Amino acid sequence: MSSNGEHALESRLLKTGSERLALLGKHADVLMQAYTRDEVPLESLSDSALRKLLAARILWRPDEQSGVKLAPKVRELIAEMLADETRRHVNADVAETLELIRALVHSYREARSRGEHWRLEQQLMRLRQEVDDLNGRFADAIDSLWQRLNSDFGFVSQLNDKIRENDRAQKQIARLLDGLALIDFDELIELVGSDGSLRKLLISQLQQQLSNHYTGLREVQRRLIELMARFRKQQARSRLISGMAAFMREHPGFVPGNYARRSEVPGLVNQAASLSAAAAPALDRNLDSRLLAELLHQLPQPRHTTQTVEAAAPAQAQESSLAAARQQALKQDVEHFYLSVIDQPQAEPVSALEYLRDSPLEWPDEIWLFQVISEYQGLPRSDQKAFRLKQQESQASQFNHLRLIHDVELQLAV
Amino acid sequence: MIEHGPLLERLLAGEFVCPISDESGYRHLTNEETREEIDTYLRPLNRRLASNEDGSVYFLAWRQLNDNARDQLSRQLGDTLNSLLPLLEWLQLVQEALGRDTLAAPGDVLKPAEFSAKCEDNQSLRERLERLATDSFFGSQSEQLDAQVKQVFKRLKEHGYLLQPHAERQVFVVTGKIDYLVDLVRFIRDEENLPIEEGSEEGSGSQEALL
Repeated sequence: MSSNGEHALESRLLKTGSERLALLGKHADVLMQAYTRDEVPLESLSDSALRKLLAARILWRPDEQSGVKLAPKVRELIAEMLADETRRHVNADVAETLELIRALVHSYREARSRGEHWRLEQQLMRLRQEVDDLNGRFADAIDSLWQRLNSDFGFVSQLNDKIRENDRAQKQIARLLDGLALIDFDELIELVGSDGSLRKLLISQLQQQLSNHYTGLREVQRRLIELMARFRKQQARSRLISGMAAFMREHPGFVPGNYARRSEVPGLVNQAASLSAAAAPALDRNLDSRLLAELLHQLPQPRHTTQTVEAAAPAQAQESSLAAARQQALKQDVEHFYLSVIDQPQAEPVSALEYLRDSPLEWPDEIWLFQVISEYQGLPRSDQKAFRLKQQESQASQFNHLRLIHDVELQLAV
Repeated sequence: MIEHGPLLERLLAGEFVCPISDESGYRHLTNEETREEIDTYLRPLNRRLASNEDGSVYFLAWRQLNDNARDQLSRQLGDTLNSLLPLLEWLQLVQEALGRDTLAAPGDVLKPAEFSAKCEDNQSLRERLERLATDSFFGSQSEQLDAQVKQVFKRLKEHGYLLQPHAERQVFVVTGKIDYLVDLVRFIRDEENLPIEEGSEEGSGSQEALL
């Protein structure tokens, strides 16, 4: 009879459970909208649908005035499914689970002493579920923590938020560790007594699992602390740089001490001057000379056609300096010619070409005449008046006015 | 010692060796024996191997601080101080332009094009960049944004704060010399007792307000 009753209860539970789970699928869009906002958008729900969702505790209404919201457990479920680290919760409530386990163990023992096998099985199954649940919660929490850690808290962009999230994660770990500490295996050993299946479930199995969780949590904790240190360091750098920049802008005349003059020069400012390890081709070793000769042969042939202006510049400079020297000599010789004109006793005219022929100078006639004329023209006007320059010239042909200068005569003006 | 030739040459040339600028060289320098060998080699050159506090960059320091060395250090310190504000402002500008909440750190990749684009869209960033680029440290003569950015990156590369892995690609990597710069700033703050907060949460609010 009671067994039938139990079966009926079970089938009713199954039926209602499936119906309500189906509601999640049926209204998935609305529920996801509610997940991302604060309230459920009622306009897209019929009255009966709303009633069913409220009855299934998928939605709830905190009070008469407020809107309809997603039930916390559903929100948590969605966050779990999406691995949404901003909203994933860590439930470390071990104390209640322990209470439940104790009650179930007592109930299990009663069933055993009364020989109620079906109830015995039921209680053992629920115990297994509770233990799995407890394990699952730790595993989930550790998974969530690793996810956050490995993404460098990538779900928040600001460093300050990262620091807060890291802080929150560390607190969660502390709560999880506190939760683990509540599990007293001495007490559990006493509780399960000599029952083999209970001993396996609650002692050997659980102990193994919890010890893994403990190691996992410690590792995450260590890494979180490291990461926090890095965050803080980054934050400190950023503040230091903006602080110093602001200070230097406000105090344009700021000059720190000359650390290089201290008796103990701080390590950070001691930076040696650079040295370059230069080398040039050397021919004092046979082996090297052969190598250098090879290298020389490998050099590309200079192509004169594409000689660049830059490359030609030094040669040109040399030529022009040579020309300048010649020009200077010519100018000096012409100056001597002028001096000899001044020295003429009766201020007689002197032919430039005759002077050139009489002297050991070897200037071409044309250049000589040209320089004599340009020297005259280069004189200041007052000095020009002291001389009279007479050009012996003829017309080149009768068809134009080109005149050819054959010679010039220079004479002191009296 | 032979195998450390190229590394020694870089160090002697005044370069800062970090995991970004010379990964294998840096790895060798993390070995104490190698460091001692190099130090012995450097002795006649009156130099020794030095690093910042974290050991994230290595460089050469004077072994004996004679008058010449002190003169050189004073000049160098002066140069560093002249370039300090432009460098700090550049760091801030990069942080803001690229929307980051942390300072450029060794290994960060910076693209001048991305930086130009951000500055182009924002008048205040544009003006700050202009001021910075025409500062004598960066010395840009151009009025073109792209040319200014290019010049700024070029100078930072010359000073060893940035590395350009491929000469033909406009992509730069921040080197460990930035760590040295930050250390130097911290050092100056501590030595001169400058009223600049760095650490705690408490200080942050009032300081952000000040800035």
